[in-house]
Amino acid sequence: MISTGINGIDDMLGGGIPRGSRVMYSMEPGVDGQLFMISTLFAALSKGLSCLVVLPHTTFDIFKHDAAMKRGCTMEIFNKKVVFIDAVDRERIEKSSRTRKDVLKAWETKVKKLSKENAVEIAFIYVDLLYNDLGLEGTISIAEAAKTSGTTTLILEHLNLEGRSLIDQFIEKYSYDLIIAISSAFRSQLHFNYFTLMHTSWSNVPRRSVPFIATEGRVVPYIPKIVVTGPTQAGKSTFVTNASDLGFSIDRRGVAGDPTTVAMDFGWLHWKNFEITVYGTPGQQRFDSVVPMLLSHAMGIVLLIDATKPSALERARHHVQLIREKRLPMVIAANKSDLPGTMSDSEIRKGLDLQKDVPLFFISATRKGDVRLVLESLVDYITQYTN
Amino acid sequence: MYNFKSGIVQIDQGFGGFEAGTNFLVLAPPMSLAEDLAYSLTKPLPGEYAIVLSTNDRAAEVIDAFKVMEVDKRYVGTIDAITKSSTPGIADTTRLMFVASPTDLTGIGIKFSKMVELIFDGDFSDGESGLFPPPVRFCVNSVSTLLMYRKLEVLYQFLHVLTSKVKKIDGVGFYLLNNESFDEKTISLVKQLMTGVIEVKIEQSTNYLRIMGIKGVPSKWQKFSVQKGQVVIGP
Ligand SMILES: Nc1nc2c(ncn2[C@@H]2O[C@H](COP(=O)(O)OP(=O)(O)OP(=O)(O)O)[C@@H](O)[C@H]2O)c(=O)[nH]1
Ligand SMILES: [Mg+2]
Repeated sequence: MISTGINGIDDMLGGGIPRGSRVMYSMEPGVDGQLFMISTLFAALSKGLSCLVVLPHTTFDIFKHDAAMKRGCTMEIFNKKVVFIDAVDRERIEKSSRTRKDVLKAWETKVKKLSKENAVEIAFIYVDLLYNDLGLEGTISIAEAAKTSGTTTLILEHLNLEGRSLIDQFIEKYSYDLIIAISSAFRSQLHFNYFTLMHTSWSNVPRRSVPFIATEGRVVPYIPKIVVTGPTQAGKSTFVTNASDLGFSIDRRGVAGDPTTVAMDFGWLHWKNFEITVYGTPGQQRFDSVVPMLLSHAMGIVLLIDATKPSALERARHHVQLIREKRLPMVIAANKSDLPGTMSDSEIRKGLDLQKDVPLFFISATRKGDVRLVLESLVDYITQYTN
Repeated sequence: MYNFKSGIVQIDQGFGGFEAGTNFLVLAPPMSLAEDLAYSLTKPLPGEYAIVLSTNDRAAEVIDAFKVMEVDKRYVGTIDAITKSSTPGIADTTRLMFVASPTDLTGIGIKFSKMVELIFDGDFSDGESGLFPPPVRFCVNSVSTLLMYRKLEVLYQFLHVLTSKVKKIDGVGFYLLNNESFDEKTISLVKQLMTGVIEVKIEQSTNYLRIMGIKGVPSKWQKFSVQKGQVVIGP
C-alpha cells in the first residue's frame, strides 16, 4: 500500500492506495488543494520510493522551493530518489518536434525512458498543460508511459475546469482507481474547502465529502459541525434529538421543572456525502460563556426561537449579533408552530432585525421531517457552488 | 447595491459608476494608454480593495504604478506571474503573491481566492479595514499574455471562473486584451464573459475610448488621457 500522506484519508481507503493504482486529484479552480499531491509525494519520498515528477508548467527549481515552503520544511527531502521532467523539457520537446504527434511521441519516450532508468515506483503528473497541449487521450497515454511495471502507481493532479463530466471519463473510460475531488464552498462570507472520495475501485467506500483545513503544511480533515442556538426553552434539545437517532443532551431539571441544558446537546446526521455533527447550546443566560466556544469552527448555525413567545425575541437578537460577528451562515427556525398564536414572518424579521435573504422556517421541532428540512436547507445554503 | 466610481464623470454622474458584480474587457491596441486606464479604474478608493494579476510587469512595477496614483498600498494586492521564474525562492506575503508562470492557472486561481479570503477575513491591510462587505476591484494585465500560453477553450473556462467569482463577491473586474494580436473569434468569445467593453483606439497619437454595455452611457468615441491615475476625458 502507498500512503496518501494524509491522516484520515488512508484510513478511509482501508490503509492507503494499492500499488499499481491510477489516482487523480481533481481540483476545482481556486481551491488550495495542491497539498494533496505534495503530501503524497513527500510520503513516498520519505519512504525511499523512487519517484518521477512531471511538471510542464514550472521548473523543478521553483517546484522544490514551493513544495518545501508549503510543507514548512527544507528542500532536503528532494535529495532522495526523485527525477523531474519540467517546463524546460517541455520547451525542448516543443522545439524539436514538428507536429503534435511528434510532441506526444517525444513526451512518451522521455517519460518511459526516465521511468525505466530509475525504476520509478510512483509517477506524479501535473496534467494541466499536457491536457492543454495534447488533449485528454494524449495526457492519458503519457501517464501510461510511466507505468513501466504493473506496480508503478500513477498520481495525477488536474485543474478541473469542466466539472463532473471529466471526472466521469476518468472513472468510466480510463478506469482510474481513485478519484478525489477537491472543492470549496464559497458563500461570500464563509469559506471552507472539502474533498470528496468520488470513486474507489478496490473497495466500495461510499462517496464521502469531508471538509479540511490546510495548516502547517498538512491537510487536516475535520468533522463539520452545525450549531443550534437560541433562547432558553425554544426547543433546541428537542431539535437536536430529532436531528439524529444518536442525539443526546446533558439536561438537568430546572427550577420550574423543565429540563434545561447545562452543557450541550449532541447529535449526528448524514447528508449529501457529509457526516455532520449537530451541537445544541444551552439557552440560559448563565451559560452564555460556553456559547462562543461552541460556535467556533461551525459550518453553519440554526437559530431556534419559540414562535409563540415574542418576549424572547430580544434575547434571540443577542444570538443574532453573536452569529453575525462570527460571520457564520445562519437559518432561523421558528419553533412550536403547531401551537396557536405564533408570530408572523414579518414580526419575527422585524424583531430580530433580519435581512430578507436570511432563510426563515416555521417548524415544530417535535417533527423529524421539519428538523431535517431545516438542516438540509442549511447544508445546501452553505455548500451550494453556483458559477 | 455598491457602485464603484470610475473617476470618469460621464459614467459616475449619470449612473453612479460601475455596478457591483460586473466585468469589463479593456480592448486596446498596443502602445495605447490602456494599461494606465485599466490601473486607474482599478485604483481603490477609500474603503475599497484592489487585486492586480500581472503577467507582464513585476509586482514592484505594479506597486510603483499605484504609488504614482497616491493609493494606500495596504489596500492593493498583486499576483505576480513573472518574478518567480528568476527568483524561485521568493516567498508570498499577504499582499504580494507569486505564481510560477503565466501558464500556472492552478496557482493563479488559488492565489486569487487566497487574497479574496484575506480581504473578507479582515486580515489584508495590516490591521486596518475598509468597508464591509469589502468592495474589491480586480485587474488582469493581461488576458493577451494568458492567451499566448493557453488554448482558447481552456482560457475561456478559466476566465469564466474568475469573472464568476468577481460577480459573486460583488466586485468589479477589468481585463486587458490586445485587439491586434487576436482574431475576431477569440475576442468575441472573451466578450461573452463580460458585462461590457471599454474600447481604446489611437488616431494621430491621440487616445480615444468608448464604453459599451453600461445602460444609458452613450458609446461614442471620446478623447482621453490619464494623469496621475485620473482619467481625463476631452481634449
Ligand atoms: N408544542 C411544542 N412544544 C415543543 C416543541 N419543541 C419543543 N417543545 C417543548 O418546549 C420545551 C423546551 O424544549 P427543549 O428542547 O428542552 O428546549 P431548549 O431550547 O433545549 O431549552 P434550554 O436547554 O433550557 O435552553 C419542552 O417542554 C418541549 O417539549 C414544538 O415544536 N412544539
Ligand atoms: Mg436544551
